[in-house]
Amino acid sequence: MLKWYEQIVPDSDVVISSRVRLARNLETYPFSSKIADEQALALVEEVKGIHASLSEKENKRFYACNISTLSDIDKIAMVERHIVSPLLAEKEQATGLILSEDETISIMINEEDHVRIQAIVGGMNLERAYLEADRIDDIAYEKLHFAYDEKYGYLTSCPTNAGTGLRASCMVFLPALSSARMIQKLIEEVGKYGVTIRGIYGEGTKSLGSIYQISNQKTMGNSESEIIENLKRIVFQVVKQERKRREYMLSVNTDEIEDQVYRSYGVLKYARQISSDDAMTLLSQLKFGKDCGLIKFDREFNVHKLMMGVQPGSLQWTLGKNVGSLTRDQSRAEYIRKELPTIIN
Amino acid sequence: MLCDRCQKRDAKILYTEIINGVKKEQHLCEECATDYTSFQMEKPLMNSDLTLGDLLSTLLETYTGAGQKKAGTDTPALTCENCGMTYDEFIGKGRFGCARCYQSFHNQLSKTFKGIQGSDIHTGKRPKGLTATAQPGQVKRDISEIEMLSIRLQEAIEKEEFEEAARLRDLIKQMRKEEELNNA
Repeated sequence: MLKWYEQIVPDSDVVISSRVRLARNLETYPFSSKIADEQALALVEEVKGIHASLSEKENKRFYACNISTLSDIDKIAMVERHIVSPLLAEKEQATGLILSEDETISIMINEEDHVRIQAIVGGMNLERAYLEADRIDDIAYEKLHFAYDEKYGYLTSCPTNAGTGLRASCMVFLPALSSARMIQKLIEEVGKYGVTIRGIYGEGTKSLGSIYQISNQKTMGNSESEIIENLKRIVFQVVKQERKRREYMLSVNTDEIEDQVYRSYGVLKYARQISSDDAMTLLSQLKFGKDCGLIKFDREFNVHKLMMGVQPGSLQWTLGKNVGSLTRDQSRAEYIRKELPTIIN
Repeated sequence: MLCDRCQKRDAKILYTEIINGVKKEQHLCEECATDYTSFQMEKPLMNSDLTLGDLLSTLLETYTGAGQKKAGTDTPALTCENCGMTYDEFIGKGRFGCARCYQSFHNQLSKTFKGIQGSDIHTGKRPKGLTATAQPGQVKRDISEIEMLSIRLQEAIEKEEFEEAARLRDLIKQMRKEEELNNA
Protein backbone atom coordinates (compact mmCIF):
# COMPACT_ATOMS: atom_id res chain seq x y z
CA MET A 1 0.00 0.00 0.00
CA LEU A 2 1.47 3.35 -1.06
CA LYS A 3 1.88 5.98 1.62
CA TRP A 4 0.18 9.32 1.01
CA TYR A 5 3.46 11.06 0.18
CA GLU A 6 4.43 8.43 -2.36
CA GLN A 7 1.36 9.02 -4.53
CA ILE A 8 1.14 11.44 -7.43
CA VAL A 9 -1.72 13.87 -6.83
CA PRO A 10 -3.33 16.94 -8.47
CA ASP A 11 -2.44 20.56 -7.53
CA SER A 12 0.67 19.35 -5.74
CA ASP A 13 2.71 22.09 -7.42
CA VAL A 14 1.47 24.27 -4.56
CA VAL A 15 -0.59 22.14 -2.17
CA ILE A 16 1.54 19.28 -0.87
CA SER A 17 -0.99 17.75 1.48
CA SER A 18 -4.33 18.30 3.17
CA ARG A 19 -4.81 17.43 6.81
CA VAL A 20 -7.71 17.31 9.20
CA ARG A 21 -7.54 16.86 12.97
CA LEU A 22 -10.40 16.19 15.35
CA ALA A 23 -9.90 16.83 19.08
CA ARG A 24 -11.89 14.53 21.36
CA ASN A 25 -11.92 13.85 25.09
CA LEU A 26 -13.37 11.10 27.22
CA GLU A 27 -15.89 12.04 29.89
CA THR A 28 -14.38 9.68 32.41
CA TYR A 29 -10.85 11.11 32.73
CA PRO A 30 -9.66 14.56 33.78
CA PHE A 31 -8.21 16.60 30.88
CA SER A 32 -4.46 16.78 30.26
CA SER A 33 -3.87 19.65 32.72
CA LYS A 34 -5.32 17.57 35.58
CA ILE A 35 -4.78 13.93 34.61
CA ALA A 36 -2.65 11.82 36.99
CA ASP A 37 0.09 9.49 35.70
CA GLU A 38 -1.82 6.27 36.41
CA GLN A 39 -4.98 7.69 34.83
CA ALA A 40 -2.92 8.57 31.75
CA LEU A 41 -1.74 4.97 31.54
CA ALA A 42 -5.30 3.67 31.79
CA LEU A 43 -6.44 6.17 29.16
CA VAL A 44 -3.75 5.07 26.71
CA GLU A 45 -4.72 1.41 27.19
CA GLU A 46 -8.44 2.10 26.79
CA VAL A 47 -8.05 4.10 23.58
CA LYS A 48 -5.48 1.71 22.10
CA GLY A 49 -8.15 -0.98 22.46
CA ILE A 50 -10.11 0.37 19.49
CA HIS A 51 -7.42 -0.47 16.94
CA ALA A 52 -8.84 -3.95 16.25
CA SER A 53 -12.27 -2.65 15.34
CA LEU A 54 -10.65 0.04 13.19
CA SER A 55 -8.69 -2.61 11.24
CA GLU A 56 -11.85 -4.62 10.78
CA LYS A 57 -14.15 -1.79 9.70
CA GLU A 58 -11.68 0.18 7.62
CA ASN A 59 -10.30 -2.85 5.85
CA LYS A 60 -6.70 -1.90 6.39
CA ARG A 61 -4.23 -2.60 9.11
CA PHE A 62 -3.92 -0.31 12.13
CA TYR A 63 -1.01 -0.51 14.57
CA ALA A 64 -1.15 0.64 18.18
CA CYS A 65 1.77 1.38 20.48
CA ASN A 66 2.94 3.32 23.52
CA ILE A 67 5.15 6.21 22.51
CA SER A 68 7.53 5.43 25.37
CA THR A 69 8.44 2.11 23.70
CA LEU A 70 9.72 3.91 20.60
CA SER A 71 13.33 4.95 20.11
CA ASP A 72 14.21 8.63 19.82
CA ILE A 73 14.86 8.21 16.10
CA ASP A 74 11.41 6.71 15.59
CA LYS A 75 9.86 9.61 17.45
CA ILE A 76 11.74 12.29 15.51
CA ALA A 77 11.01 10.57 12.20
CA MET A 78 7.31 10.44 13.08
CA VAL A 79 7.28 14.12 13.96
CA GLU A 80 8.97 14.90 10.64
CA ARG A 81 6.34 12.91 8.77
CA HIS A 82 3.55 14.67 10.72
CA ILE A 83 2.32 11.42 12.22
CA VAL A 84 2.71 12.72 15.76
CA SER A 85 3.09 16.23 17.14
CA PRO A 86 6.29 17.38 18.87
CA LEU A 87 4.23 17.66 22.09
CA LEU A 88 3.20 14.01 22.01
CA ALA A 89 6.76 12.84 21.31
CA GLU A 90 8.23 14.84 24.19
CA LYS A 91 5.57 14.34 26.86
CA GLU A 92 6.75 12.75 30.12
CA GLN A 93 3.42 11.06 30.85
CA ALA A 94 2.19 7.93 29.11
CA THR A 95 1.16 8.66 25.51
CA GLY A 96 0.00 6.37 22.75
CA LEU A 97 -0.47 6.13 19.02
CA ILE A 98 -2.69 4.26 16.59
CA LEU A 99 -1.46 4.41 13.01
CA SER A 100 -2.87 3.05 9.75
CA GLU A 101 -0.45 1.19 7.50
CA ASP A 102 -0.62 3.86 4.76
CA GLU A 103 0.04 6.55 7.42
CA THR A 104 -3.16 8.36 6.37
CA ILE A 105 -4.76 8.00 9.78
CA SER A 106 -3.00 8.60 13.06
CA ILE A 107 -4.64 8.81 16.45
CA MET A 108 -2.64 10.48 19.18
CA ILE A 109 -3.53 9.48 22.72
CA ASN A 110 -3.06 11.80 25.72
CA GLU A 111 -1.75 14.74 23.73
CA GLU A 112 -3.32 18.08 24.68
CA ASP A 113 -6.63 16.27 24.31
CA HIS A 114 -7.27 12.62 25.18
CA VAL A 115 -7.74 11.65 21.57
CA ARG A 116 -6.64 13.45 18.45
CA ILE A 117 -7.74 11.85 15.23
CA GLN A 118 -5.73 12.98 12.25
CA ALA A 119 -6.12 12.24 8.55
CA ILE A 120 -3.56 13.33 5.92
CA VAL A 121 -3.97 12.97 2.18
CA GLY A 122 -1.73 14.21 -0.61
CA GLY A 123 -2.54 17.33 -2.65
CA MET A 124 -5.56 19.56 -2.35
CA ASN A 125 -8.25 17.33 -0.90
CA LEU A 126 -9.59 18.63 2.40
CA GLU A 127 -12.96 16.97 1.87
CA ARG A 128 -11.45 13.53 1.64
CA ALA A 129 -9.25 14.14 4.66
CA TYR A 130 -12.35 15.17 6.61
CA LEU A 131 -14.38 12.17 5.45
CA GLU A 132 -11.58 9.84 6.58
CA ALA A 133 -11.32 11.48 10.01
CA ASP A 134 -15.10 11.63 10.39
CA ARG A 135 -15.45 7.89 9.74
CA ILE A 136 -12.74 7.09 12.28
CA ASP A 137 -14.49 9.38 14.77
CA ASP A 138 -17.75 7.42 14.33
CA ILE A 139 -16.03 4.07 14.79
CA ALA A 140 -14.15 5.33 17.85
CA TYR A 141 -17.37 6.68 19.38
CA GLU A 142 -18.88 3.19 19.42
CA LYS A 143 -16.26 2.23 22.04
CA LEU A 144 -15.26 5.55 23.61
CA HIS A 145 -17.64 7.98 25.21
CA PHE A 146 -16.51 11.38 23.98
CA ALA A 147 -17.48 14.42 26.03
CA TYR A 148 -20.12 16.36 24.13
CA ASP A 149 -22.40 19.21 25.13
CA GLU A 150 -25.52 20.30 23.25
CA LYS A 151 -24.42 23.91 23.34
CA TYR A 152 -20.62 23.80 23.24
CA GLY A 153 -20.24 20.72 21.06
CA TYR A 154 -17.17 18.53 21.58
CA LEU A 155 -15.46 19.55 24.81
CA THR A 156 -11.75 20.10 24.55
CA SER A 157 -8.92 20.95 26.88
CA CYS A 158 -8.31 24.35 25.31
CA PRO A 159 -11.28 26.61 24.51
CA THR A 160 -9.75 27.41 21.12
CA ASN A 161 -10.54 23.87 19.97
CA ALA A 162 -14.04 23.38 21.41
CA GLY A 163 -17.12 22.91 19.25
CA THR A 164 -16.14 20.90 16.23
CA GLY A 165 -12.63 20.18 17.54
CA LEU A 166 -11.69 20.52 13.89
CA ARG A 167 -8.41 21.90 12.67
CA ALA A 168 -8.08 21.64 8.92
CA SER A 169 -4.84 22.57 7.23
CA CYS A 170 -3.07 22.50 3.92
CA MET A 171 0.67 22.23 3.57
CA VAL A 172 1.62 24.63 0.81
CA PHE A 173 4.79 25.21 -1.16
CA LEU A 174 5.26 28.95 -1.75
CA PRO A 175 8.72 29.56 -3.23
CA ALA A 176 7.67 32.47 -5.44
CA LEU A 177 5.67 34.33 -2.80
CA SER A 178 8.35 33.83 -0.18
CA SER A 179 11.21 34.93 -2.43
CA ALA A 180 9.17 38.05 -3.17
CA ARG A 181 8.82 38.52 0.61
CA MET A 182 5.07 38.48 0.35
CA ILE A 183 4.34 35.93 3.09
CA GLN A 184 3.93 38.52 5.85
CA LYS A 185 1.39 40.38 3.76
CA LEU A 186 -0.38 37.12 3.04
CA ILE A 187 -0.53 36.26 6.75
CA GLU A 188 -2.19 39.58 7.47
CA GLU A 189 -4.62 39.15 4.61
CA VAL A 190 -5.81 35.65 5.39
CA GLY A 191 -5.99 36.54 9.09
CA LYS A 192 -9.06 38.62 8.31
CA TYR A 193 -10.85 35.45 7.30
CA GLY A 194 -9.98 33.53 10.45
CA VAL A 195 -7.15 31.64 8.79
CA THR A 196 -3.50 31.40 9.87
CA ILE A 197 -0.26 30.66 8.06
CA ARG A 198 2.54 29.07 10.06
CA GLY A 199 5.81 27.21 9.64
CA ILE A 200 5.88 23.59 8.55
CA TYR A 201 5.61 21.93 11.95
CA GLY A 202 2.86 24.12 13.35
CA GLU A 203 2.86 26.52 16.24
CA GLY A 204 6.04 28.48 16.72
CA THR A 205 8.07 26.66 14.09
CA LYS A 206 9.92 28.24 11.21
CA SER A 207 9.38 27.50 7.60
CA LEU A 208 11.67 25.03 5.85
CA GLY A 209 12.16 25.02 2.08
CA SER A 210 9.34 27.55 1.55
CA ILE A 211 6.74 25.17 2.97
CA TYR A 212 3.95 26.64 5.07
CA GLN A 213 0.80 25.47 6.77
CA ILE A 214 -2.52 27.23 6.25
CA SER A 215 -5.22 26.39 8.77
CA ASN A 216 -8.54 27.51 10.26
CA GLN A 217 -8.45 29.33 13.58
CA LYS A 218 -12.00 29.01 14.82
CA THR A 219 -13.66 25.75 15.68
CA MET A 220 -17.03 26.82 17.05
CA GLY A 221 -20.05 28.45 15.41
CA ASN A 222 -19.55 26.96 11.99
CA SER A 223 -20.23 23.41 10.88
CA GLU A 224 -17.40 21.16 9.75
CA SER A 225 -18.28 21.56 6.09
CA GLU A 226 -18.41 25.36 6.42
CA ILE A 227 -14.97 25.40 8.02
CA ILE A 228 -13.56 23.19 5.25
CA GLU A 229 -15.26 25.23 2.54
CA ASN A 230 -13.96 28.52 3.93
CA LEU A 231 -10.40 27.24 4.24
CA LYS A 232 -10.55 25.71 0.79
CA ARG A 233 -11.50 29.03 -0.72
CA ILE A 234 -8.60 30.80 0.97
CA VAL A 235 -6.12 28.12 -0.05
CA PHE A 236 -7.28 28.40 -3.65
CA GLN A 237 -6.65 32.15 -3.50
CA VAL A 238 -3.14 31.52 -2.19
CA VAL A 239 -2.56 28.92 -4.91
CA LYS A 240 -3.69 31.43 -7.52
CA GLN A 241 -1.38 34.13 -6.16
CA GLU A 242 1.58 31.76 -5.96
CA ARG A 243 1.04 30.57 -9.53
CA LYS A 244 0.71 34.13 -10.76
CA ARG A 245 3.91 35.13 -9.01
CA ARG A 246 5.70 32.10 -10.45
CA GLU A 247 4.61 33.07 -13.95
CA TYR A 248 5.85 36.56 -13.34
CA MET A 249 9.20 35.37 -12.03
CA LEU A 250 9.61 33.12 -15.03
CA SER A 251 8.64 35.82 -17.49
CA VAL A 252 11.33 38.20 -16.24
CA ASN A 253 13.99 35.75 -15.19
CA THR A 254 13.72 32.43 -17.01
CA ASP A 255 17.41 32.01 -17.77
CA GLU A 256 18.55 32.70 -14.24
CA ILE A 257 15.92 30.45 -12.69
CA GLU A 258 16.59 27.64 -15.13
CA ASP A 259 20.28 27.86 -14.34
CA GLN A 260 19.53 27.77 -10.62
CA VAL A 261 17.28 24.71 -10.99
CA TYR A 262 19.91 22.78 -12.98
CA ARG A 263 22.66 23.78 -10.56
CA SER A 264 20.51 22.52 -7.69
CA TYR A 265 20.00 19.25 -9.51
CA GLY A 266 23.73 18.99 -10.14
CA VAL A 267 24.62 19.46 -6.49
CA LEU A 268 21.89 17.10 -5.30
CA LYS A 269 22.87 14.44 -7.83
CA TYR A 270 26.64 14.56 -7.30
CA ALA A 271 27.37 15.90 -3.83
CA ARG A 272 29.13 13.48 -1.48
CA GLN A 273 27.93 15.11 1.72
CA ILE A 274 25.05 17.49 2.33
CA SER A 275 23.35 19.04 5.39
CA SER A 276 19.59 18.85 5.79
CA ASP A 277 19.14 22.61 5.47
CA ASP A 278 21.11 22.68 2.21
CA ALA A 279 19.22 19.66 0.94
CA MET A 280 15.88 21.32 1.72
CA THR A 281 16.83 24.53 -0.05
CA LEU A 282 18.06 22.68 -3.15
CA LEU A 283 15.11 20.29 -3.22
CA SER A 284 12.81 23.25 -2.92
CA GLN A 285 14.45 24.80 -6.01
CA LEU A 286 14.26 21.49 -7.81
CA LYS A 287 10.56 21.13 -7.00
CA PHE A 288 9.97 24.62 -8.28
CA GLY A 289 11.76 23.82 -11.55
CA LYS A 290 9.91 20.53 -11.92
CA ASP A 291 6.51 22.09 -11.24
CA CYS A 292 7.21 24.85 -13.76
CA GLY A 293 8.29 22.33 -16.38
CA LEU A 294 11.84 23.73 -16.56
CA ILE A 295 13.36 20.35 -15.86
CA LYS A 296 12.09 16.93 -16.90
CA PHE A 297 12.86 13.49 -15.54
CA ASP A 298 12.79 9.99 -16.98
CA ARG A 299 10.19 9.00 -14.38
CA GLU A 300 7.59 10.65 -12.17
CA PHE A 301 8.60 11.16 -8.54
CA ASN A 302 7.41 13.06 -5.51
CA VAL A 303 9.95 15.69 -4.43
CA HIS A 304 8.17 16.09 -1.14
CA LYS A 305 8.89 12.47 -0.28
CA LEU A 306 12.59 13.32 -0.61
CA MET A 307 12.11 16.46 1.46
CA MET A 308 10.84 14.29 4.27
CA GLY A 309 13.43 11.61 3.66
CA VAL A 310 16.38 13.99 4.13
CA GLN A 311 15.24 15.13 7.58
CA PRO A 312 17.62 13.90 10.29
CA GLY A 313 15.12 11.58 11.98
CA SER A 314 13.74 10.02 8.81
CA LEU A 315 17.23 9.53 7.40
CA GLN A 316 18.48 7.68 10.46
CA TRP A 317 15.25 5.74 10.55
CA THR A 318 15.94 4.55 6.99
CA LEU A 319 19.51 3.71 7.98
CA GLY A 320 18.17 1.87 11.00
CA LYS A 321 20.71 3.43 13.34
CA ASN A 322 21.81 6.57 15.11
CA VAL A 323 24.76 8.22 13.34
CA GLY A 324 26.89 11.33 13.84
CA SER A 325 26.38 14.45 11.77
CA LEU A 326 29.23 13.83 9.29
CA THR A 327 28.08 10.27 8.51
CA ARG A 328 24.56 11.59 8.35
CA ASP A 329 25.53 14.19 5.73
CA GLN A 330 27.24 11.48 3.70
CA SER A 331 24.31 9.08 3.94
CA ARG A 332 21.94 11.89 3.06
CA ALA A 333 23.89 12.60 -0.13
CA GLU A 334 23.87 8.89 -0.95
CA TYR A 335 20.13 8.64 -0.29
CA ILE A 336 19.39 11.59 -2.60
CA ARG A 337 21.65 10.20 -5.35
CA LYS A 338 19.75 6.95 -5.22
CA GLU A 339 16.28 8.48 -5.17
CA LEU A 340 16.79 11.23 -7.75
CA PRO A 341 15.78 10.23 -11.29
CA THR A 342 17.84 11.09 -14.37
CA ILE A 343 16.99 14.25 -16.32
CA ILE A 344 15.91 14.13 -19.93
CA ASN A 345 16.17 17.01 -22.37
CA MET B 1 11.01 56.74 -17.78
CA LEU B 2 9.91 56.41 -14.18
CA CYS B 3 7.11 54.15 -13.00
CA ASP B 4 3.72 55.87 -13.02
CA ARG B 5 2.81 54.50 -9.64
CA CYS B 6 5.86 54.74 -7.40
CA GLN B 7 7.77 57.38 -9.38
CA LYS B 8 10.95 55.78 -8.06
CA ARG B 9 11.98 52.83 -10.19
CA ASP B 10 12.35 52.54 -13.95
CA ALA B 11 9.17 51.56 -15.76
CA LYS B 12 9.65 48.31 -17.64
CA ILE B 13 6.10 47.21 -18.27
CA LEU B 14 3.31 48.82 -20.21
CA TYR B 15 0.14 47.79 -18.44
CA THR B 16 -3.08 48.26 -20.41
CA GLU B 17 -6.36 47.94 -18.64
CA ILE B 18 -9.80 48.12 -20.22
CA ILE B 19 -12.66 48.51 -17.79
CA ASN B 20 -16.15 49.04 -19.20
CA GLY B 21 -14.69 50.08 -22.49
CA VAL B 22 -12.42 52.71 -20.94
CA LYS B 23 -8.82 52.10 -21.83
CA LYS B 24 -6.09 53.08 -19.41
CA GLU B 25 -2.38 52.70 -19.99
CA GLN B 26 0.25 52.74 -17.31
CA HIS B 27 4.00 52.43 -17.37
CA LEU B 28 4.99 50.34 -14.38
CA CYS B 29 8.09 48.97 -12.74
CA GLU B 30 8.23 45.23 -11.98
CA GLU B 31 7.39 45.65 -8.31
CA CYS B 32 4.37 47.83 -8.90
CA ALA B 33 3.16 45.66 -11.74
CA THR B 34 2.93 42.54 -9.59
CA ASP B 35 1.54 44.48 -6.70
CA TYR B 36 -0.99 46.06 -8.95
CA THR B 37 -2.08 42.88 -10.65
CA SER B 38 -2.42 40.92 -7.42
CA PHE B 39 -4.33 43.85 -6.01
CA GLN B 40 -6.72 43.58 -8.90
CA MET B 41 -7.12 39.88 -8.28
CA GLU B 42 -8.49 40.44 -4.79
CA LYS B 43 -10.82 43.17 -5.92
CA PRO B 44 -13.82 40.94 -6.82
CA LEU B 45 -14.03 39.78 -3.19
CA MET B 46 -14.87 43.27 -2.07
CA ASN B 47 -17.98 45.25 -2.74
CA SER B 48 -17.17 48.84 -3.58
CA ASP B 49 -18.86 50.57 -0.67
CA LEU B 50 -18.45 47.76 1.78
CA THR B 51 -15.34 46.08 3.05
CA LEU B 52 -15.08 42.76 4.76
CA GLY B 53 -13.32 44.31 7.74
CA ASP B 54 -16.34 46.53 8.18
CA LEU B 55 -18.63 43.52 8.35
CA LEU B 56 -16.40 41.58 10.69
CA SER B 57 -16.07 44.46 13.12
CA THR B 58 -19.86 44.66 13.21
CA LEU B 59 -19.85 41.02 14.16
CA LEU B 60 -17.31 41.53 16.91
CA GLU B 61 -19.15 44.51 18.33
CA THR B 62 -22.21 42.34 18.64
CA TYR B 63 -20.38 39.68 20.56
CA THR B 64 -18.58 41.98 22.93
CA GLY B 65 -21.70 44.08 23.23
CA ALA B 66 -23.58 41.01 24.38
CA GLY B 67 -20.83 40.33 26.89
CA GLN B 68 -21.14 43.77 28.43
CA LYS B 69 -24.61 43.00 29.72
CA LYS B 70 -23.16 42.51 33.20
CA ALA B 71 -23.48 38.75 33.24
CA GLY B 72 -21.93 38.63 36.70
CA THR B 73 -18.44 40.06 36.40
CA ASP B 74 -17.42 39.21 39.95
CA THR B 75 -16.77 35.51 40.37
CA PRO B 76 -15.41 34.77 43.83
CA ALA B 77 -13.47 31.48 43.80
CA LEU B 78 -15.63 29.65 41.31
CA THR B 79 -14.46 26.02 41.40
CA CYS B 80 -15.23 22.89 39.39
CA GLU B 81 -16.39 20.28 41.89
CA ASN B 82 -15.29 17.41 39.71
CA CYS B 83 -11.60 18.22 39.19
CA GLY B 84 -10.94 21.11 41.57
CA MET B 85 -10.00 23.59 38.84
CA THR B 86 -10.81 27.16 39.84
CA TYR B 87 -12.05 29.71 37.34
CA ASP B 88 -8.94 31.85 37.88
CA GLU B 89 -6.74 28.84 37.24
CA PHE B 90 -8.64 28.17 34.02
CA ILE B 91 -8.17 31.75 32.86
CA GLY B 92 -4.48 31.64 33.80
CA LYS B 93 -3.72 28.35 32.06
CA GLY B 94 -6.22 28.68 29.26
CA ARG B 95 -7.07 24.99 29.74
CA PHE B 96 -10.09 23.25 31.21
CA GLY B 97 -9.51 20.61 33.88
CA CYS B 98 -12.23 18.20 32.82
CA ALA B 99 -15.45 17.93 30.84
CA ARG B 100 -17.49 19.10 33.84
CA CYS B 101 -15.64 22.44 33.96
CA TYR B 102 -17.82 23.53 31.04
CA GLN B 103 -20.88 23.22 33.30
CA SER B 104 -19.15 24.65 36.35
CA PHE B 105 -18.02 27.81 34.56
CA HIS B 106 -21.09 27.97 32.36
CA ASN B 107 -22.10 31.53 33.28
CA GLN B 108 -18.71 32.91 32.31
CA LEU B 109 -18.10 30.86 29.21
CA SER B 110 -20.44 32.46 26.70
CA LYS B 111 -18.39 35.63 26.87
CA THR B 112 -15.11 33.73 26.62
CA PHE B 113 -16.21 31.75 23.60
CA LYS B 114 -17.69 34.72 21.82
CA GLY B 115 -14.42 36.53 22.37
CA ILE B 116 -12.10 33.86 21.02
CA GLN B 117 -14.34 31.89 18.69
CA GLY B 118 -16.80 34.55 17.60
CA SER B 119 -19.59 32.26 18.71
CA ASP B 120 -20.58 30.21 21.73
CA ILE B 121 -22.83 27.76 19.96
CA HIS B 122 -21.70 24.62 18.24
CA THR B 123 -23.57 24.05 14.99
CA GLY B 124 -21.65 21.10 13.60
CA LYS B 125 -21.54 17.36 14.08
CA ARG B 126 -23.31 15.50 16.89
CA PRO B 127 -21.97 12.11 17.89
CA LYS B 128 -23.75 9.38 15.95
CA GLY B 129 -26.58 7.84 17.95
CA LEU B 130 -26.33 10.30 20.84
CA THR B 131 -29.71 10.68 22.50
CA ALA B 132 -30.45 14.23 23.58
CA THR B 133 -29.44 14.61 27.20
CA ALA B 134 -30.64 18.17 27.55
CA GLN B 135 -34.28 19.16 27.85
CA PRO B 136 -35.97 19.79 24.54
CA GLY B 137 -35.34 23.27 23.22
CA GLN B 138 -32.18 23.66 25.25
CA VAL B 139 -29.96 23.36 22.23
CA LYS B 140 -30.68 26.87 21.07
CA ARG B 141 -30.86 28.46 24.49
CA ASP B 142 -29.65 31.99 25.14
CA ILE B 143 -29.82 33.19 21.56
CA SER B 144 -31.11 36.71 21.30
CA GLU B 145 -32.51 38.02 18.05
CA ILE B 146 -29.35 40.06 17.50
CA GLU B 147 -27.18 36.99 17.96
CA MET B 148 -29.36 35.08 15.54
CA LEU B 149 -28.92 37.82 12.96
CA SER B 150 -25.17 37.79 13.60
CA ILE B 151 -25.03 34.12 12.80
CA ARG B 152 -26.90 34.79 9.58
CA LEU B 153 -24.54 37.69 8.86
CA GLN B 154 -21.57 35.39 9.30
CA GLU B 155 -23.14 32.88 6.92
CA ALA B 156 -23.85 35.60 4.39
CA ILE B 157 -20.21 36.76 4.50
CA GLU B 158 -19.00 33.23 4.00
CA LYS B 159 -21.29 32.73 1.04
CA GLU B 160 -20.10 36.11 -0.28
CA GLU B 161 -23.68 37.39 -0.38
CA PHE B 162 -22.62 40.92 0.36
CA GLU B 163 -25.90 42.64 -0.28
CA GLU B 164 -27.66 40.40 2.20
CA ALA B 165 -24.73 40.89 4.59
CA ALA B 166 -24.99 44.66 4.34
CA ARG B 167 -28.73 44.47 4.99
CA LEU B 168 -28.17 42.33 8.08
CA ARG B 169 -25.39 44.59 9.30
CA ASP B 170 -27.66 47.63 9.11
CA LEU B 171 -30.47 45.74 10.79
CA ILE B 172 -28.16 44.73 13.66
CA LYS B 173 -26.90 48.30 14.03
CA GLN B 174 -30.45 49.58 14.18
CA MET B 175 -31.55 46.96 16.69
CA ARG B 176 -28.59 47.69 18.90
CA LYS B 177 -29.37 51.36 18.82
CA GLU B 178 -32.95 50.63 19.87
CA GLU B 179 -31.69 48.34 22.60
CA GLU B 180 -29.44 51.08 23.94
CA LEU B 181 -32.31 53.54 23.95
CA ASN B 182 -34.47 51.08 25.84
CA ASN B 183 -31.76 50.47 28.40
CA ALA B 184 -31.06 54.15 28.88
